[in-house]
Amino acid sequence: MKILVADDSRAMRMIVARTLRQAGFSGHEIIEAENGAEALELAREEEPDLILSDWNMPEMTGIDFLRSLHRSGIDIPFCFVTSEGSEEMREMAEESGALGLITKPFTAERFTEVLSTVVSL
Amino acid sequence: MSSIDELEDARQDLESLLLDVLNSTLGEEAFTTDESLPAGPLATSRLSIHDEAQDTYLGIEIRVGAVLARLLASKMMAAGDPSPDDLLDAVGELGNIVGGNVKTLLYHTARLSLPMADLNSRTGPGDPDDPSTTLRVAASVFGQTAQVVLTPGAPVDGLYWPPSQEDEALEKQP
Repeated sequence: MKILVADDSRAMRMIVARTLRQAGFSGHEIIEAENGAEALELAREEEPDLILSDWNMPEMTGIDFLRSLHRSGIDIPFCFVTSEGSEEMREMAEESGALGLITKPFTAERFTEVLSTVVSL
Repeated sequence: MSSIDELEDARQDLESLLLDVLNSTLGEEAFTTDESLPAGPLATSRLSIHDEAQDTYLGIEIRVGAVLARLLASKMMAAGDPSPDDLLDAVGELGNIVGGNVKTLLYHTARLSLPMADLNSRTGPGDPDDPSTTLRVAASVFGQTAQVVLTPGAPVDGLYWPPSQEDEALEKQP
């Protein structure tokens, strides 16, 4: 599988990749983007199988990234990995068709819980 | 949520939040502390929450010493010798995690800025925080102190806010 990780923090992109491995999702190709706009371009070019995206990012936020994907007719499993987990954001994520919202700090168990239906071990 | 009294009511939750973030990020148990920050330059991450309903701002600053900043970057990036850019990124992301959780804890409809990190902050000798205008919580991890300082109405100069499609729509208006 090809997994796109979008976050403006390189440290967080590394943590997400590491946590995927800790959750047992090893051997997948990870591609990275620093913001929603770059992620949108990469998603169009690379056609990843899963997108893990931060919400608050420069250039384009995660929710706008997801909505832009849908407007382009691209339907890729999408999960938010963000420091904010308000009910309002969870509802917005769900209404926009996201798989879920994983809040930082997170655990490998939480990754397994949310992603096991779409990521192969 | 804009007064010190309201923040004081949430002190225990804010302390727990800081402990959870440090425990998870560093993989080491953190404890609430009254210890001061170490001497020397501080690494800081500054953010703000805009309460859109009340049109008020809450400033958030996370402060750590140089040793903890290096430990943080080493752990987060699995790097033995983190570069200054790694330190900025790690401290900034620590601020982002704390800020996001503070927002979830205290607000319903609000907007969180992006973090602005600095490796050479110094708040000056003595205690710079006026308890009548700021709320400070602190934790110790690996024997090092981390502080979170919340300041209602703190200036938002220099902070960057994530764009929204609403902003873009406004910009396009004649």
